[in-house]
Amino acid sequence: MSLFNSLIPSRSREASRTATDNVGPSLKPVYEIKETDEAYGLTVFLPGVAKDGLELTIENQELRVVGRRTWTSPAGWTTVYRESADAPFVLVLTHDNAIDADKIAAELKDGVLRASLPKAEALKPRKITVS
Amino acid sequence: MNIVRYSYPYNGSLVPSTSRFYRSPWGAFESEMDRLFASALGELTSTPAGQFPVDLYEDKDNTYVRAELPGVSREDINVEMVDGYLTVSASRKTPAAEGQAEQSSSFSRSVRVPEEVQANLVSAAYENGVLTVTLPKREEAKPKKVTVAVK
Repeated sequence: MSLFNSLIPSRSREASRTATDNVGPSLKPVYEIKETDEAYGLTVFLPGVAKDGLELTIENQELRVVGRRTWTSPAGWTTVYRESADAPFVLVLTHDNAIDADKIAAELKDGVLRASLPKAEALKPRKITVS
Repeated sequence: MNIVRYSYPYNGSLVPSTSRFYRSPWGAFESEMDRLFASALGELTSTPAGQFPVDLYEDKDNTYVRAELPGVSREDINVEMVDGYLTVSASRKTPAAEGQAEQSSSFSRSVRVPEEVQANLVSAAYENGVLTVTLPKREEAKPKKVTVAVK
């Protein structure tokens, strides 16, 4: 079965996607991407997520943000009404080699992740001189 | 007014899969339809614009209100207690980027607090984008055991 999967390109791509299945039901966070000439700025709202609950990985042209809330209600609290969910936040962005993965800078503050994703050198606008 | 529990959409597929590698031919169609509905119904299925999710908990001494307010600085959060209603309002300013002025958006929600509250002892903490307001109950409202002697 694995030989069969590796021969057919689309099935071998599926095999590497099992990372998503491990997370289970998830929420898509609110996010925003702004573009400048040098980089993409990514802002993701992850309320309740601290640094130890955050995973930011970039792999196979996919940028994946997983945020898990670490707070659980203390024993003795009864829930009267809930609007938020306990599911982890998962955001997957595909980029097609447009980002230079080594120069990504990210900061998590007050439940907001701000990441700067520098564009890969080949994609920056450049002038071509005509001789 | 009815309080209806809101359930967040979850990213599972409707087609059951027997093995991890099975990808139903409907998978792409399903996610396209999900996206179509999400964009068309955006305002109806999510909390209305200008609002944030709020949770209400209680234990025997306090009532707790947790509000998800990522990216707001502490000075911009206002918590007020009026007559059994707790109002949380916040404004978020996006830092000015080149070519754009600073934008600010404000949110506000009022929550009915179920029990009698000692208004002067209310405290609030903001951590990781979540605001937790602790409202101590008044002595008379705390559950008390009353033993009755039977003659």
